Amino acid sequence: MTHPFFPVLVLFFFAGSVVLALLLIAQMVGPKRPNPVKDEPFESGNPPKGDARIRFPVKFYLVAMLFLIFDLEGVFLYPWAVLFRRLGIFGLVEMGIFLTVVVVGFVYAWKKGALDWE
Amino acid sequence: MTDHVLTYMTFFPLAGMVVVLLLPRERHDLVRWASALFTLPPLLLAVWLYRNFDPVNPGLQFVEKAAWIPAYNINYFVAVDGISISMVLLTALLTFLCIFASWGIDKGVKGYFALFLLLDTGMMGVFVALDFFLFYIFWEVMLLPMYFLIGIWGGPRREYAAIKFFLYTLFGSVLMLLAILALYFSSEPHTFDMTQLIAQSSRYGTTPLHFWPFDHLRWGFQHVVWMALFIGFAIKIPAFPFHTWLPDAHVEAPTAISVILAGILLKMGAYGILRINYPMLPEATADLAYYFLGALGTWNIIYGALCAMAQKDFKKLVAYSSVSHMGYVMLGMASFTPQGISGAVLQMFNHGTITGMLFLLVGVIYDRAHHRDIDGFGGLAAVMPVYTGVSVLAFFASMGLPGLSGFISEVLVLLGAWQKYPLLSALGASGVILTAGYLLWTIQRVYLGATNEKYKAMPEINGRELFTLVPLGIIVIILGVYPNALLDLLRASLDQLNQLVIPHLS
Amino acid sequence: METNLAPLLPSAEVVLTALSVLLLDLFIRKDEKGLLVWISLIGLALAGGMALFLWGSHEGAFQDSILLDDFALFFTELFLGAAAITILSSVHYVRETNIHEGEFYALVLLSTFGMILMAAANDLILFFLGLETMSIGVYILTGMWRERSQASEAAMKYFLIGAFATGFLLYGIALIYGAAGSTHLGRIASALGQTKSHGSIILSAGVFLLFVGLAFKVAAVPFHFWVPDVYDGAPTPVSAFMAVAVKAAAFAGWARIFLYQLSPLQSEWTLPLKALAILTMTVGNLLAISQSSVKRMLAYSSIAHAGYLLIALVAGGESGGQALLFYLLSYAAMTFGAFGVLIALKEGENDHEAYSDFAGLGFKRPFLGMAMSLFMLSLAGFPPLAGFTGKFYLFRSAVVAGHIDLAIIGALNSLLSVVYYLRVIVMMYMEEGGAEGKPFARAPYLYLAIAIAVLGTVYLGVLPAPALDLSRISFISLH
Repeated sequence: MTHPFFPVLVLFFFAGSVVLALLLIAQMVGPKRPNPVKDEPFESGNPPKGDARIRFPVKFYLVAMLFLIFDLEGVFLYPWAVLFRRLGIFGLVEMGIFLTVVVVGFVYAWKKGALDWE
Repeated sequence: MTDHVLTYMTFFPLAGMVVVLLLPRERHDLVRWASALFTLPPLLLAVWLYRNFDPVNPGLQFVEKAAWIPAYNINYFVAVDGISISMVLLTALLTFLCIFASWGIDKGVKGYFALFLLLDTGMMGVFVALDFFLFYIFWEVMLLPMYFLIGIWGGPRREYAAIKFFLYTLFGSVLMLLAILALYFSSEPHTFDMTQLIAQSSRYGTTPLHFWPFDHLRWGFQHVVWMALFIGFAIKIPAFPFHTWLPDAHVEAPTAISVILAGILLKMGAYGILRINYPMLPEATADLAYYFLGALGTWNIIYGALCAMAQKDFKKLVAYSSVSHMGYVMLGMASFTPQGISGAVLQMFNHGTITGMLFLLVGVIYDRAHHRDIDGFGGLAAVMPVYTGVSVLAFFASMGLPGLSGFISEVLVLLGAWQKYPLLSALGASGVILTAGYLLWTIQRVYLGATNEKYKAMPEINGRELFTLVPLGIIVIILGVYPNALLDLLRASLDQLNQLVIPHLS
Repeated sequence: METNLAPLLPSAEVVLTALSVLLLDLFIRKDEKGLLVWISLIGLALAGGMALFLWGSHEGAFQDSILLDDFALFFTELFLGAAAITILSSVHYVRETNIHEGEFYALVLLSTFGMILMAAANDLILFFLGLETMSIGVYILTGMWRERSQASEAAMKYFLIGAFATGFLLYGIALIYGAAGSTHLGRIASALGQTKSHGSIILSAGVFLLFVGLAFKVAAVPFHFWVPDVYDGAPTPVSAFMAVAVKAAAFAGWARIFLYQLSPLQSEWTLPLKALAILTMTVGNLLAISQSSVKRMLAYSSIAHAGYLLIALVAGGESGGQALLFYLLSYAAMTFGAFGVLIALKEGENDHEAYSDFAGLGFKRPFLGMAMSLFMLSLAGFPPLAGFTGKFYLFRSAVVAGHIDLAIIGALNSLLSVVYYLRVIVMMYMEEGGAEGKPFARAPYLYLAIAIAVLGTVYLGVLPAPALDLSRISFISLH
């Protein structure tokens, strides 16, 4: 007997062939009449303005990174809250230590001016 | 005090180094006198040692032993016997005299004397150490100051000479270290103690090795270890073809360092073979001594003499004469006769005093004329009569003139060798003629003939220089007339050493 | 739930110090930053005291995923000492280069914490955690001299290649987990016997990948190519810290994982490891010869020394472990010293790292010249210095384990290394010109660090017995 997953392999093969076939047919049959408007990048119907590669203030990245760090650390509080009773006093102390480290990081970021926009 | 006499002799200079390092840099004379002060006690102790050494006892004397790294059976173990006593005396004497020969050094005085004192400790340590690990450490400790002393205070090509000396010697050291490890791991229990290694010498397998290139030679483990040690020591002797560092190092080194190099360092090679190869690997010694000590030694005698004859540089001439004279040591050692082997050890001592004198003498005129071209002098006898007198004494001793010490040792060596290898002995005797040739020719060119106009006003040898030469001259004469003053001390131990090897001779 | 927190004490103290330094740095004026040095040093000393106090205990925490044995404590002390010397030797460097002081010291401390965790971890996940904590800290330290483009380049290279190596390591851990069903080393070891039949290929693949990951960290050839650029670009104290502490931490992990827990598999890795050791020392030495910068030479020499250390891992057993630990101690002393002298040559913008900058140093600054000669000779393996004793026991362990060829190749390699170590000495004493070097008055902390290194190099060489015993006891405590 064939392997139980054999049909899946067959499916993969067919799916792949269909994609390839469609692309080839479009390439061969489809008419090609390019003009300047068609070549523009699509921006929801608005006429494009300026260069696509512009410089963002680095502050955006900083905020994004800080958000990621503190958000994820905040998420850690949820599972702890769920298991709070089982973890008991040990869990409380441990979370206290964790939060201290987070707060030190926060104070550091604050004092270094990472939160000031100007 | 007398319990630790060897330790004091070894480490007094080291203490001197610390003191010298603490002295103010500008006080050159203070540094020099302090160095002299710290090499004097070893010399006095050496005299005491000479008087208290028991010549009848062939075993170790003045033994000191203390645990150092007990986990691996490594001990601080020092002692002397007939093999090393003459070298210990020579070291103590030459280092003290060389401090005075170094008086003229005026660049980095403090560093020079500090390194010199460290060198002294290393050399003394090599001759008294009886623990292999300790021996190796002293051996390397001595190498470094020597490297700096040539490399910093040497002549124009000092860097090249220093590196060449260093790499040659280091190559030998690595081979030696491997041999030491090999011996250590074949002893049971593992030990670095030389006396125990000697006692177990039958353990080091003589079963032939069945791999290339040893399969045709019927070589055993003993032979391979013997060769590794021999190459390490042959570089120091220096035996052909490992001798090429010697002329460079000698020529570039400052006078006192040349004296130490020729007088003491070269002896370490021969000493090592006697101390280690002979008793620990007697079978291999019996098999290989003819080729690598006897024949090679004879070749050294003739080759060194021929090279010396071709030299224009006074110091190079003396350097090649060392190669030649050390050949007698090798030839004597290879004979396994009482005369030959004691002649070899006596030759080691005599070469130290005589060649020491020769280098000091070259240094005297170099300091005045600033060149060493043999043909550039001439007729010095008229200008410097005292200097010439001492020089001629040293030259005659080096030549082996009866009544001077060189004669006794060379005759003993040739007599001993004659009983075993008449051909080599005859060839070695021809070396005496070559030696006479180049030395007489040099005397004629430098001291006799018309006086060179440039050196009409050359100042006579001064008191300090005479002070370094006279003791050596006296010893040369005493040993020439009464060699038993030293031979008596050696005989018992060397006979015992011979008896270890002779049963294995085929 | 009872948890024994004692094993965490020294590392907790290090983290606490790091946080205090970080916080305090925000609130003090620029001319008061010297305080941070003292706080860091006192913190390290306290942690060292705790580790000393705990010496001899054998406890575990968190289901034994962290162990407190003499092995861990030995390395804890080594890392703390390394951090202290790094801080001492960077005080002047950091000020000269406008590196932020507070962050610098805090990152050194946090990396140290990661290393301590690596040496104590008995669980692959925890080991990985320690490795990452250490690595991230060191990545940043590498690039902290922001005005220097080489530093940024070095940091980038180190980060990318480090991440790559981490990938190997993590994949290896995953495969081992798949084969043995646990990341806990003790359980992996006990599972080894049963899974041999059908898990062996996966396990071997996992072990192999773990190997590669660690080989990157210890800079073994052919995983060494990042070393010269990174060591060269990083601030010199950080290069020293990397060369000593990072390497030691990776070897600590290696010893605990392979020499102890996975030792039943030893026959599988002996041959590749042997090849790695031979390749590493030979390539490291050969490339070191052709360098013109002393800093790069030291980088290659650190590769060569990784090769010597690998000999101990090949040899294994009690003598191998002892030799490994002892050599790491000696290596730490002489390497810190050599980099320390290099730091002393720096003058403002000019790093003075070429051989020619050492010319005449022996006469201009006799102490620095003498110290550097000692370190070079010790690195080259001259008796009676630490490097000789260390190498002697390394080669001895190889012979004991029957790898005589390794001992011979090692000895020949150290002969080779003399060529380039000696060049520094030749420069210092036989040439003229070159850099001036800082006098004592301008860099007292640095001189203190160098003096400590000199003492260590000489002490370990002349009186090795106590340190050898210590190494043996520490290694035995693994079992």
